[in-house]
Amino acid sequence: MTSIFIAIAVLSLLALVFGVILGFASKKFKVEGNPVIDQVEALLPQTQCGQCGYPGCRPYAEAIANGDHINKCPPGGTATMEKIAELMGVDEEPLNAEAQSAVKKVAYIREDECIGCTKCIQACPVDAILGAGKLMHTVIAKDCTGCDLCVEPCPVDCIDMNPVETTIQNWDWKLNTIPVKVIHSEQEEQAC
Amino acid sequence: MLTLLEQLDKGFLWQSPGGIHPPQLKTLSNQSAISRLPLAKRFIVPVPLVGEQAILTVSVGDKVLKGQALTEGSGFTYLPVHAPTSGHIIAIEQHASNHASALPILSCVIEADGLDTWCELTSNSLEQLSKTEILSKIKQAGIAGMGGAAFPSHVKLNPASEIDLVIINGIECEPYITSDDRLMRDHSDEILAGVGIIHHLLNPQRIIIAIEDNKPEAAKNMQAAIERSSLPKGQIRVTVIPTKYPSGGEKQLIQIITGKEVPSGAIPAQLGIVVHNVGTAYAIQDAIYHGKPLVERVVTLTGENIAKPGNYWLPLGTTVADALQAVDFKPSTQQKVIVGGPMMGYALADLDVPILKGTNCLLVPSPEEIAPDTTEKACIRCGECAVACPALLLPQQLFWHAKAQEYDKAASFNLKDCIECGCCSYVCPSDIPLVEYYRVAKSALKTAAEEKHQAEQAKIRFEARLQRLEDEKNAREAKAKEAAAKRQANMKSSDKDAVAAAMARIAAKKAQAESNTSVSEAPTVTTQTAIDPKKAAVNAAIERAKAKKAAQADTSNVKAADHTDALLDNINADDVKTDDKQAKVAAAIARAKAKKAAQANDVISSQTDAITGSEHNKDQVTPPDDKQARVAAAVARAKAKKLAQAAASSSATDPIATPDANVPTESTDATDASADHSTEPLTPSNTIEPQTADSSVSDKQARVAAAVAKAKAKKLAQVAAGTSATDPIATPDANVPTESTDATDATDASADHSTEPLTPSNTIEPQTADSSVSDKQARVAAAVAKAKAKKLAQVAEDNQDQSLENQHNEQHNEQHTEMSTALSPEQAKKAKVAAAVAKAKAKKLAKSAEQEEQ
Repeated sequence: MTSIFIAIAVLSLLALVFGVILGFASKKFKVEGNPVIDQVEALLPQTQCGQCGYPGCRPYAEAIANGDHINKCPPGGTATMEKIAELMGVDEEPLNAEAQSAVKKVAYIREDECIGCTKCIQACPVDAILGAGKLMHTVIAKDCTGCDLCVEPCPVDCIDMNPVETTIQNWDWKLNTIPVKVIHSEQEEQAC
Repeated sequence: MLTLLEQLDKGFLWQSPGGIHPPQLKTLSNQSAISRLPLAKRFIVPVPLVGEQAILTVSVGDKVLKGQALTEGSGFTYLPVHAPTSGHIIAIEQHASNHASALPILSCVIEADGLDTWCELTSNSLEQLSKTEILSKIKQAGIAGMGGAAFPSHVKLNPASEIDLVIINGIECEPYITSDDRLMRDHSDEILAGVGIIHHLLNPQRIIIAIEDNKPEAAKNMQAAIERSSLPKGQIRVTVIPTKYPSGGEKQLIQIITGKEVPSGAIPAQLGIVVHNVGTAYAIQDAIYHGKPLVERVVTLTGENIAKPGNYWLPLGTTVADALQAVDFKPSTQQKVIVGGPMMGYALADLDVPILKGTNCLLVPSPEEIAPDTTEKACIRCGECAVACPALLLPQQLFWHAKAQEYDKAASFNLKDCIECGCCSYVCPSDIPLVEYYRVAKSALKTAAEEKHQAEQAKIRFEARLQRLEDEKNAREAKAKEAAAKRQANMKSSDKDAVAAAMARIAAKKAQAESNTSVSEAPTVTTQTAIDPKKAAVNAAIERAKAKKAAQADTSNVKAADHTDALLDNINADDVKTDDKQAKVAAAIARAKAKKAAQANDVISSQTDAITGSEHNKDQVTPPDDKQARVAAAVARAKAKKLAQAAASSSATDPIATPDANVPTESTDATDASADHSTEPLTPSNTIEPQTADSSVSDKQARVAAAVAKAKAKKLAQVAAGTSATDPIATPDANVPTESTDATDATDASADHSTEPLTPSNTIEPQTADSSVSDKQARVAAAVAKAKAKKLAQVAEDNQDQSLENQHNEQHNEQHTEMSTALSPEQAKKAKVAAAVAKAKAKKLAKSAEQEEQ
């Protein structure tokens, strides 16, 4: 009989001790905010385009942390979706066909058509459009995220979304894609 | 144990890991000396840095000379580009580049005139130049690493750390290439001269010219050149190393010569070692001793499809097609033109591309010569690649991850340390183009890193924008709040004003009725005042009392109120003698009001004392019969008070304050400056003064005016004192010394200035004074003034100290003013007309001021 009481006493004591430790730890090592949100946000492309239906990348990151679908980010593409799936431990969800074929774009203002209304400047989430009222505007191409948000407000439709130009700097080595030109040999020429 | 230097001197060598021994095939091109080809007609000079670090100095149609710089720029790594021959610029356009992608880049197309005229060249000797000048000359000559990477040489010649060892790279380990071999054979003395310049710049302990043992003639020639050179013996030597690919790699060579491994991500300079190519050394001596910029280089044109293989001096910008044509290139079907060696080179997609600074070889092999593209077979995990890898990587693992596009995993196997030497591909029994996979993976990783960086930048910009919008919104809200508060305050005051005005009207009516004096609304100011001066006197007394009350309201206590009452009795006794009943009534009303107002506030302050004290002063100083003077004094005092407090608010940034020309803007002792002003009879302040004085000729009404003015002045003054410098209400007070730091001095200064009625604020005073000529009006005005004063006085409670100070100043000023008013002429009518004019003006100004206030 005594052994039972001893066991109960010891277990209660242990429970108390661990309870205190856990309580202390939960206070001492409390994490402010949800770290998952930051991790998801770090994966998102930060175009702030709102195509996911949320006003920016962070709100979407919050929504994903709260269980929203992970396939709503067309600028991020499949790669981003896969990374988020891995991070969140959820199944991969395919993006729609349009998003899959999306290429990175950059806004371009046809400057002679611009009337200087500043509407695109107000729409740009990353302040990548330069200009002033009644003066021509232009896009700072290196800061443009290609989010598309400036196209809609333009009253004269002078903004184009052009695919990002391939340069030597961003050229992608591709296997066996070096275009080999066929140079006719002299023998062949003679034969002809 | 030998030290490293001793080991170097003994020619001790270490083993570098991995490596292969491909067939050399160098004899194809190294049999004849370096020769020249006929000058091409057309040259393409890429200017890739234009738009980033540089600007073009030429335009289409310009004539250029050989060696003339085409770009101008700044930046540490900027290198100028030079015209390779004399001729005309026929186009500046996007042109296919000498790159595996053949993507177009901005290039100058030069049509040669065939004369090949050099621009003006200046030759120097080392003694003439400082080290900085030498470095600058090397930079201006556009010298880049000639081994293939084309890294700007002046950067490597100006390292941050001490350099102990310089290695001159004459290894040239790739098959086929013999440009460095021939250069060392043919121009050993020039190379040594270049090495001498490098020695002069870096002052290393040892210089080692490393040459592979498959180039014995080059080694012999270089050794002979060392014997001939003036470089210190013992510090420079030729070290012959065994032939192995890729010993010519910078890191591999350092490991073979010194046994040290350059850590991942580090540069050799961190070990105190710098490696320069022999071609670079040649170019450096050409730039310094002959002043020639880098406009040509030795290129090995080789391969079995070339009839005259060999090494040729080719001007940079010569197209590959032109160069190959000049050596009788006979293309076979599916001919590959490879830039660089067979191991690390890349096939060109377009032959109309220029020779660059790093182009050391053009290889056009016949189909028999080079293995045809074979189909890739499965990896059998033989491990040959890992044995061959000179960077000690695990090519298999890299290959798996690269093929599966798990690039971050490939990166974790140190993919970035891969030098793309091609050893793994060479040894692979499955013909897997491993290096191709690594290149794809590397570029994908680079793109990912770039995108990540861009995303971070975008996030920063987005957050900055949000912050900015938030700040703007807050500022707008604060402004709206402020405006609303102001509007509310104005509304309240106008309500109060209306009530006060109504009360004043009733009081006036009562007084009129009691006096039984029929006061018809006088058509002119003169007649009205002439008709009943006594009534006016009574009114004046009332108004004064009210004003006083108002003045006290801000700070008064019961004691002060009592004091005021006593004072009022005195004043009224003087004035009211002639008309007892009226006066008594008026006095009683005034007293009652004053008491009420006084009791409303229970804040005790010394300010009240100051006010009452000043009242005393005034009464004592003013002779009872000289009413004009008294009025004038009152007016002046009011002005002084207002302006003094305005000054106290030190509205230095006030834009409206500046128009006043009389302000001593930079006077440190403002008192002196303004004192001078006040004694000058010619200043506007003095000349216009009589006007105010004259208007007060109509005797008693003027007193009323004075009282009103006083009250208003106080109000304004306290507003000015209480509110900030940017307050629009304070702005009419233009007499503020704008840069005065000493508030007291400033107060004095403006107090003296206050005798000028020219400033907008001052012109308001005559208005109120004159408008009160018809007594009803006057009362209303007085009541209004009173109410306003009360309100504003309460607003200004927190500035009591300041206003106290100002009131002291006022007292000083008062006496001053009286002196000036004593001189005023007595042409009453004239003065009245003037007063009327002033009144009108003042009204207008007051209105505009009010609008501003709102």
